[in-house]
Amino acid sequence: MSQTKERLTKKELRQIWARWGFTHLSSMSYEKLQAHAWAYSYIPFAKKYYSDDPEAMRRLLVRQSMFYNTEPQTGQIINGIVASLEEEIAMGGDVPEEMPINIKATLMGPLAGIGDSIIQGIIVPILLSIGMGLASGGSVVGPLFYIVSYALIGPTISYLCFHNGYKLGINAIDVIIGENAKRITDAFNILGVMVVGGLAAGNVALTTKLEIPMGDELSSLQALFDSNFPKILPLIMVLLSWWMISKKRMSATKIIIVLTVISAVGVVLGVF
Amino acid sequence: MEMDLLIPALLTGIFCYLGAIESACLFGMSGGFYIVGRPLVAGLLVGVAFGDVQAGILCGLAVQGVFIANLSTGGATNSEITYAAYGGIGLAMATSKDPAIAVTLSILIGQTFGLIFYNTRMALYSFWNRRADIAAEQNDLAGIRMNHLVGPQITNFLLRAIPIFLVIFFGKDLVDWLLQNIPQVVTDTISVLGGVLPALGIAMLMNIVIKEKSLFIFFFAGFVLTAFAGLSMIALVFIAALVAYLVFLATKPGLALVAESANQNTSEDVIFEDDYLF
Repeated sequence: MSQTKERLTKKELRQIWARWGFTHLSSMSYEKLQAHAWAYSYIPFAKKYYSDDPEAMRRLLVRQSMFYNTEPQTGQIINGIVASLEEEIAMGGDVPEEMPINIKATLMGPLAGIGDSIIQGIIVPILLSIGMGLASGGSVVGPLFYIVSYALIGPTISYLCFHNGYKLGINAIDVIIGENAKRITDAFNILGVMVVGGLAAGNVALTTKLEIPMGDELSSLQALFDSNFPKILPLIMVLLSWWMISKKRMSATKIIIVLTVISAVGVVLGVF
Repeated sequence: MEMDLLIPALLTGIFCYLGAIESACLFGMSGGFYIVGRPLVAGLLVGVAFGDVQAGILCGLAVQGVFIANLSTGGATNSEITYAAYGGIGLAMATSKDPAIAVTLSILIGQTFGLIFYNTRMALYSFWNRRADIAAEQNDLAGIRMNHLVGPQITNFLLRAIPIFLVIFFGKDLVDWLLQNIPQVVTDTISVLGGVLPALGIAMLMNIVIKEKSLFIFFFAGFVLTAFAGLSMIALVFIAALVAYLVFLATKPGLALVAESANQNTSEDVIFEDDYLF
């Protein structure tokens, strides 16, 4: 048994990274989400270390089939940490077998939060805004810019997160949820909040057709808004939606229905 | 139902699979959902499929505006962006090539048919999960591969490519009829809704990033810089980065202490600065 107890090679590590990278959402359901991508990415690992110990292999596969959900690109840092732990376990180190389970359960929430706000809240909308600007008039430069830039950024984030997670191992937890990490993520979060504010101003469109009496003449209410508080109607719709999500705990589908009703009523009454 | 629609409709269906959130072909979400799944890119690809790249991109651009704040967290999503993009842009390219039509069709498809298909699939895939669980219990490595990757990808392909192919291949006449007979109120409502829908995605983003009420001041700062001062997204990012960096500096633990010791240690610098001032 001892002759197989060598560490993971670079190639095998890259294999674990790539198997997760390609298939993280392959079999996603509401019940398990990304769970089975873990078991799938540990197939070569299981063959390498546990081919002569079926009971240990079974424990590995079962503990790597549990419910899991995070932002899958930044979340690769967890895959890196767990790879270093599983390696220790396979080599007979003193890491308990519950450790990978606990690490996954503890870190997936915080990383989903920071990852979603960085990827979906900052990087994707910014690149899309630039790409849309370049695409005006139907130019291919716009979509090509977006394709190339995200094709570089997304996998790079994924690769760096995995390898740093593996290198730091258990110490990476400090990097993710330690005091210093909290300052960095808080600062990134503020960047995200400001960008979202800009998105609200730039990407929601709603104007009113109402006219209000100004002295003797009717004048456009929208012109009044534009000169005093531009984009006030989009801002109201955004704040209303936010209120429905965070205070009323309404589902996205219900809010879509509310927005549709508001639009329809507004059109019928001639407001919008 | 002309035959020259066959190949473009087929290609659009295949693109819809490649860009789907659960597609595994293009490095997961990185190349699938986040690249091929975006309407801006869909416009280019569908444009190529239909042999009119410029019209495709213009449709993609218009649809992307509506879905810029599409969001998927924990499997929940505010609209099925891939069905919306490929169904809407594909149908528009098969008919009038009008960006406004592409937007209307995308919203209709993304908010109804798309979400229904997506939610149904998300519920039904427990079937594959259960089989993968059993495979793990039995050390069946080939079974894990089969029930996590091969089987689900085949059903994903069927669920994405076939409906989109059928919708484009047979929906053309229906769309032509709809466009002529749909009441003005409905088209007006959909066009207003297209402007308002991004508010939901943005609100979902706010729900992630705004963890305490005090952060609203940064949200309004970003809003005002764009709405009042008319800054572009790139300009806003630089200012936001500055603000974020200042916050990072200001939250340094023991900041007051550091400042104090710095004063004591660098008295020469202070004198130098004073000299410079006077």
